[in-house]
Amino acid sequence: MTFRAAFFRKIAFLVVIAILLLPLFWLGQPSTSPARGARGGPGGILAQLRTRSGLSEAELGEIDPTSEAMRLTTLGLRGVAANILWTKADTYKMKKDWTNLSATLEQLVKLEPHFISVWRFQAWNLSYNVSAEFDDYRKRYEWVIRGIEFLKKGVRYNEREPKLLWDVGWFTAQKIGRADESKQFRRLFKQDDDFHGPRPLEERDNWLVGKEWFARGEELVEQGATLRGISPLLFFSDRPMCQMNYSEFLSKDGIFGERAKQSWSRALEEWLQYGDREFPTYEGGTIRLNDKERFDTRAQEIWEELEKLAPGLKAKIEQEKRARLRPEERRALDTPFEERTPEQQALAFEASRKVHVTHREVAQRITGPRRSEALKLAEEAEKALQMSSKIDQQRTIVNFEYWRMRARFEQTPQAIEAREYIYLGDEAFRAADLTRAKQYYDLGLQKWRELLDLPEFPQLKHDGNTGRELIDVIRNYQRILDARDEPWPRPFILQDIIDLHKDSVPDFEPPA
Amino acid sequence: MVIENLLPPFPQWFLPALGIWIGVLALVALVGFFLGWLVVALERGPREALVRNWQAVVQALDDFVRRLSLKRAHGLAYLAVKESIRRRVIAVFVVFLVLLMFAGWHIDPASREPAVLYLNFVLSSTTYLMLLLALFIGSFSLPTDIRNRTIHTVVTKPVRASEIILGRLSGFAWVTTFILVGMGVVSYFFVIFGLNHRHALPAANLQPVAEAPGETGTLTGLTAPAFGHRHRVYVDADGRGRVEVARGHYHSIRMIGSGPEARYEIGPPEGFLLARVPVYGRLEFRDRDGLDTDKGLNVGDEWTYRGYIQGASPAALIWTFSGLTPQRFPTGLPLELTLGVFRTHKGNIEKPVLGSIAVRNPRTGLYVETEIFESKEFAEVPEIKRLFVPRTIINPPSVQIIQRKKNTVEGIVLSPPNEDVRMELTQKREFDLYEDLCDNGRVEVWIRCIEPGQYFGAAQPDLYIRARDASFIVNMFKACYGIWLVTLIVLAYGITASTFLSAPVAMVATIGVLVGGLFRDFVIKLALGQTYGGGPFESLYRLVTQENVMSELEPGLGTLLLKMADVIARGFLFAVASILPPLGQFGWSDWVAHGFDIPWEHVLIRTLQTLAFVGPVIVAGYFFLRAREIAE
Amino acid sequence: MSSGKSTAPGTPEVIVETRNLTKIYRDFWGRQKVRALKALDLTIYRGEVFGLLGPNGSGKTTTMKLLLGLLFPTEGQALVFGRDATDVSKNERIGYLPEETYLYRFLTGEETLEFFGRLFNMPAAVRRQRTAELLELVGLTAARKRQVREYSKGMARRLGLAQALINDPELILLDEPTTGLDPIGTRAMKDLILRLRDQGKTIIMCSHLLADVQDVCDRIGILYDGELKELGRVDALLKVRDMTEIRFSGGDGALVDEVKQVIERHNGRIHFIGNPTTTLEELFLQIIRESEAHPGRRVRGGISGDGH
Repeated sequence: MTFRAAFFRKIAFLVVIAILLLPLFWLGQPSTSPARGARGGPGGILAQLRTRSGLSEAELGEIDPTSEAMRLTTLGLRGVAANILWTKADTYKMKKDWTNLSATLEQLVKLEPHFISVWRFQAWNLSYNVSAEFDDYRKRYEWVIRGIEFLKKGVRYNEREPKLLWDVGWFTAQKIGRADESKQFRRLFKQDDDFHGPRPLEERDNWLVGKEWFARGEELVEQGATLRGISPLLFFSDRPMCQMNYSEFLSKDGIFGERAKQSWSRALEEWLQYGDREFPTYEGGTIRLNDKERFDTRAQEIWEELEKLAPGLKAKIEQEKRARLRPEERRALDTPFEERTPEQQALAFEASRKVHVTHREVAQRITGPRRSEALKLAEEAEKALQMSSKIDQQRTIVNFEYWRMRARFEQTPQAIEAREYIYLGDEAFRAADLTRAKQYYDLGLQKWRELLDLPEFPQLKHDGNTGRELIDVIRNYQRILDARDEPWPRPFILQDIIDLHKDSVPDFEPPA
Repeated sequence: MVIENLLPPFPQWFLPALGIWIGVLALVALVGFFLGWLVVALERGPREALVRNWQAVVQALDDFVRRLSLKRAHGLAYLAVKESIRRRVIAVFVVFLVLLMFAGWHIDPASREPAVLYLNFVLSSTTYLMLLLALFIGSFSLPTDIRNRTIHTVVTKPVRASEIILGRLSGFAWVTTFILVGMGVVSYFFVIFGLNHRHALPAANLQPVAEAPGETGTLTGLTAPAFGHRHRVYVDADGRGRVEVARGHYHSIRMIGSGPEARYEIGPPEGFLLARVPVYGRLEFRDRDGLDTDKGLNVGDEWTYRGYIQGASPAALIWTFSGLTPQRFPTGLPLELTLGVFRTHKGNIEKPVLGSIAVRNPRTGLYVETEIFESKEFAEVPEIKRLFVPRTIINPPSVQIIQRKKNTVEGIVLSPPNEDVRMELTQKREFDLYEDLCDNGRVEVWIRCIEPGQYFGAAQPDLYIRARDASFIVNMFKACYGIWLVTLIVLAYGITASTFLSAPVAMVATIGVLVGGLFRDFVIKLALGQTYGGGPFESLYRLVTQENVMSELEPGLGTLLLKMADVIARGFLFAVASILPPLGQFGWSDWVAHGFDIPWEHVLIRTLQTLAFVGPVIVAGYFFLRAREIAE
Repeated sequence: MSSGKSTAPGTPEVIVETRNLTKIYRDFWGRQKVRALKALDLTIYRGEVFGLLGPNGSGKTTTMKLLLGLLFPTEGQALVFGRDATDVSKNERIGYLPEETYLYRFLTGEETLEFFGRLFNMPAAVRRQRTAELLELVGLTAARKRQVREYSKGMARRLGLAQALINDPELILLDEPTTGLDPIGTRAMKDLILRLRDQGKTIIMCSHLLADVQDVCDRIGILYDGELKELGRVDALLKVRDMTEIRFSGGDGALVDEVKQVIERHNGRIHFIGNPTTTLEELFLQIIRESEAHPGRRVRGGISGDGH
């Protein structure tokens, strides 16, 4: 009968549809990251082929059939749908419904997988805002990791986006390393087998892992990916800074000796490589952070050359300028730096500006056949000084000189020993062993003295960061002595540090 | 589970609800009668209009009561079922299957609460599909019949308009029931299979327990990861194992073989799908001065669901339970608590904030602390702390008489009053929950934070007595029934709208009802003027002029007119809102997903609510159908 | 007349009565669009086959829908079995065959009859028996399991007739009963109508197929532009009284008497002497012509009848 025939035809269609869907299922199933456990499957055939050939959607990142399907089914209302999801996510966040928040974010990024801000903003939300809602630090850690995993997924979808890689690095390095709970976080991070997979224990450091991601970002930029929303100067500083931080945290973890030295040496090496990188400046042209010394030297050399061309001319001009100074200015200038009164400070500053002689002034006073040569030299010197000051500005942004010095002095046996003794002293103090604490501290302070006196680092004792650190050490020493009811030693071995930096730590009271 | 609108108990709900229903119904009926009269009066004069309208009402009674033939209605229902089959409504079921097949990939089983995601997904997709289906079949059926004129053949039979509408509704209800049952069964198995996972337990993972000198041979270790989590396992010397709860579930464990070749097999997950039967109490707060308040402190959350109390102060969260008997809880009260913790200082990061739980007799004021507990906020998944108040409390940490203080117009009132305080009650060292601490089945449970500078927060549903566990399948069934009720309401509105509107317009109207019903709370807020930016007209003005919602409009005639127009619009909104079904509150998927048994009381209330809406809507549909000419 | 019952002994029972029945179609704004039926007064008695004639748009289907309660009168009243036409209970005794057979295409022939049987609250056994009988009657027994969508137009029409008869109605309204039927089907339909009349049923049909009406109707009403133009017994309406027609053969055409004489004288045979009849078609066309010439006037001109 016709009815039967029609019925069977329909059934047949349904069966055919179902059969056609099966290969799609088999082909299209997405792979899941085995690192986090999930199903840990390689996914369908398409996913496997994609992985094998490193294919990605128009070189953007992963193709996901569901994502595609979702975008198609919104029929051009993707933006609206994404907005609704975004609002929903906000509501879930407000109502602390974390499970649904995560699920909504998943949908959101399926809908807008190449919208970088979504990844960045929501990852921040998870790692920084949601994690802070929890009381249990282990839960906080879990959500920091969730944010990082979220970003890593974003990286898979957007393989040409250095900013996302940088974010992964930043979250891993800074969120774990600099949070209030960094001690606990770092401990949990080391134990997190599911996050690290086969990574050996000693490499499971947030700074080292972060560094890997920064390195991937750098690589991408070097291959020509465009960097948006962050200055290259900062972008490239984070990888070497990770090594610095890692080295610094080694001492906090009680690791000294050769490992510390090597780590700092590596940090220095990377920092100098960073200094060799060319960065564009706002005025156009490029600079290298390492070049400042070269330019300064060149400017100095030109003084010598000018001196040869016109011996004593510079000194003469200086004398002339001095002669034009008002008497109080001259007096201020002649007073040694430490003895100047505040008014004199200002006067001396003004006066030194007035007596300053430039290359050009000297060159212009030269007459005769050497004049043009002198002017050319002056011009070169001016340029060199300009470059030097440009570089100087950039150096301040990343605290280049401090870290360069730091990486250098930390490698000295004095620094390593000093740190080890202070660390042991702190440990002893915590264990209420005051005698040993004092012994270690005395040794540590001795080593610091030796370090500060090294001729290679004349500026070290004037350095603010080091100063603050030492004031902290001195304060702890004070506590130890107080606890032992001992008087403050006179003369104190680091008295110069107290004198220089006593005001840099707000609640520090120098020993009477 | 978060319950923002907890339904009152049935006896408290019924009479007021009935009163409102009758009132609204009478009003709507009056308005309807008047409008009907007006229309007829324009054509035939007021007197005849009155007569005709009265006849129509009598006729309606006749058609609904005396002459309603179930057989005819059944015949029409049968037709509706046939029509649905012809319209391939079964396609919805296929869509559902396809949806499950593909969506299964993207529900993250490594989530913290995979069961919540799975159940929410299946129940919400079922809801959406059923609503869509109801929208289509409800609003397209009758207009199609009218357009095809097949209805001519039907209405020239002795068929009442009431039977046409009831028949359609019941026919479609059968269809939706059938599909819903199918979806429910498929959903159940989808969830079971979706959540199913096994962990491997390599023997190398097991290490002897260090700090258990008595128990020699006990091993412990972590399983291999699956679904983004691991479980801790304990195996004793005899090979008996125990798998600890993680992510809301556990597994069975079995040893195969013995000695060094022993292997362990871990079974499928258990405990994912629960239906806890909660007994809720009434929450009150006590502030730091020991005075009763209705609200706790706000610790800066935008969401004011939980109220907070200060630690190391007289402040407390007080739940009053009633109707407790030794028969119901013979061994004590198994409590479950979700607690918000807010720290004003870090304290010891690695240590949870401490709290205390106590029971108090509301009459005598005898206050017996039973336990000091660690408040691991969100430590477990689901984030629930289990506490147990035993029937017999021996040597409790603290026993006092605490008087509740209430600030009233007459000053501070103490309960119990000073003259009734009997300090000798505190002399005992052993207390019986029912004899010493219950007053006619009423007991107070106090939760306090004992650390200075830290805060605890809770909402009423955050503490409950877990009376027992009901059947999950029955719970799932109840949730499907809830979906069915919503479908029924949508069907009724759709059919009624289609008695006087063309199919697409009827569908849009029904969507309007549906959306309005989902956001009914908001519409009522709008009608009562509880939203920012004024009523519809003022909002429009502010939109166009880009005026801030918080700033006052400049006084003047324009503003006055605007506000007056809004008063009228609000009245209209209120009228509309009161005939909108509260569909937003009908969803039970959260209960099922979070593992709570849907109370039968709620089932009853929702059923009555559904009837309360469907009944009048059908009658309205009857009048519309009667009033229209079938042929055009 | 005050009730549907007959007023005097011997007068047949009134089944349908309309008084001043008027239907005006209005547009959305309430403006008058079409005056479909103007003040129709009509009485139909038990056992009659009444035909409503008229060109398309003359108001015959409107009349029928008003009688069925599918439309509401703008003015006046339509009474069926003495009750208002909008009263559903009258449908118990009515059978209706719509103009085109509006049946559910997804039901089979048998299901269709079962379904409509249910609407009459018939007991299952009666329903089944009736279904079988009617399927046999309209010759669809073999096709009873097929869906209506697969039926030919004639089959659907026959099924439509069967459903109209499912309740053994007293009054049957047939809207264009023979459209879509082949000559044999048309014949069968006409025979069935006559058979139903013989069973004492009242039948109202409307048609524009004049031959059909002429064959089966006892009385007819002719509608034009919503107005009743003619009403009466078919035989009376078709009688031409002031004319004499002589039909003969073999004659050469003289005066009647002479012809008679001549015929007699020549031993010729007289075939017919008497009042000749015209055809319904001629009558119909004449009425239409006159209506166009004198709109608004009831036609009682050259062809007079003895209607009520």
